[in-house]
Amino acid sequence: MTKPATPVVVRRRSLPLVWVVPLVAFIVGAWMIVRNSRDHGPEIIIRFQNGGGIEANKTTLEYKGVAVGSVREVALAPSLDSVLVRVQLAKDAAELARSDSQFWLVRPEIGFSGIRGLDTLLTGARIQVRPGNGGEPAKEFIALRRAPLLESNTDRGRSFILRADRLGGLTPGAPVYFREVKVGFVETHRLAPNADGVLVRLRIRKPYDQLVHADSKFWNSGGVNVKIGLFGAEIRSNSLESFVAGGVAFATPDTTGADPAADGAEFTLADEADKEWLKWKPKMPIKEATEGWETPGQAENSPNDPGA
Amino acid sequence: MDRTLHCHACQLTLPDAAPEYDGSPCPRCHATLHRRFPHALQRSAAFALAGLIMLVPANLLPVITSNLFGAAQTNTIMSGVLALYRDGLWGIALIVFVASIAVPLLKLVSLGLFFHAAWRGNSPHRRGLTRLYAFVRFIGRWSMLDVFLVAFLTGAVRFGTLASVHPEPGVIAFAAAVLLTVFATESFDSRLLWDEGANSDSAAP
Repeated sequence: MTKPATPVVVRRRSLPLVWVVPLVAFIVGAWMIVRNSRDHGPEIIIRFQNGGGIEANKTTLEYKGVAVGSVREVALAPSLDSVLVRVQLAKDAAELARSDSQFWLVRPEIGFSGIRGLDTLLTGARIQVRPGNGGEPAKEFIALRRAPLLESNTDRGRSFILRADRLGGLTPGAPVYFREVKVGFVETHRLAPNADGVLVRLRIRKPYDQLVHADSKFWNSGGVNVKIGLFGAEIRSNSLESFVAGGVAFATPDTTGADPAADGAEFTLADEADKEWLKWKPKMPIKEATEGWETPGQAENSPNDPGA
Repeated sequence: MDRTLHCHACQLTLPDAAPEYDGSPCPRCHATLHRRFPHALQRSAAFALAGLIMLVPANLLPVITSNLFGAAQTNTIMSGVLALYRDGLWGIALIVFVASIAVPLLKLVSLGLFFHAAWRGNSPHRRGLTRLYAFVRFIGRWSMLDVFLVAFLTGAVRFGTLASVHPEPGVIAFAAAVLLTVFATESFDSRLLWDEGANSDSAAP
């Protein structure tokens, strides 16, 4: 046994528990500020030929129908030949700041194949973006003069080239039918390199792009087909839409191989369908992206809207 | 030293209490007696500091997003004041500025003056400071104007894509800042202004 130790009296200045409050306030406040600044992605500068309708803090940058950034500042380029627009990207849209992304301004546009950007009548113009395929990170971009025609980049089906003698009333956005079901649309057209024909580019939507095989036949289904015979008259048209904007239909022979045609394959566009072609009924499995039936509007998304 | 002791629960006043009464039960209602609120200065200073910290995100972060015909606009308190002023509504801009920026700052400055005076003791301005304290307590309940405005607009303006209003995190920080300054004012003991001063709060039990 040892003798009990002499008790030592320590007078401590007690620190009241209340000092936890400013500590918590500091942590919460810092966290709020950090989280807010992390919500912002990088800033980019887009050069426009014409800044009509772009307003700071109002115009948004949209991708797939969602705002992914907003305009912070609109300024004239020092050389006075263009407008510089500073855009603050959202955090999850940081990947859009790559050199091969394309930007363009959307204004209301009304045409035969549909009305595009009608909402911009109310909201003012907006900037749309299409991401590239992983280019270098970039800060400055030059806007396209108008919306680009879609190219094969994502899961948007496949494009094919049709060679025709004449355009035959096909306009961009004209429908492409398979068994009178709309499966795609005409993207664009141009004269063949030595002017001996017209090249028309189509896009067939997924999953219907599987239906185009190397030996498929395409024909112009636009306009009306009027036959007057001994026993009466017959008027045929695929749809009112193809009557106005023209249209293309195709069929694939029974004897076809298993492989769908490659992206960008070239076909000949016939003026009208061979009777034989209309009888073809090959069994081709379609991997439906969504189960069930077509609902109105689902297949009819405006053809050139890149947000669709 | 002032020997008066006042019970906060039953308002019994002991005109000449021995110092031992501090911290013991009230002879009438048995609530614990305190000559001064324990740790009043520290508690009040802690709340004031927390309020000051919260004012930073309250003013830096956006408080409101208003969406009119699809054109979204996000405002902090200050940018909202400037937007109102630019739109010619300078009267409303002034009200919002006074209620949301000037008053919280003046409250914190006043609290700082109280702490300084209570710490030093025997302030020559104690009469004026006491009046200022009463005013700061009164004004506290009016500082939530911004928060009410945002809450009201969020509930009232709900027209889908045509017009809508959403609160942003800054308004929470602002509400917290106002609440904390109210706590700071309430936990301060204005009698400290009249004491000898210097650490008078650390003499508590």
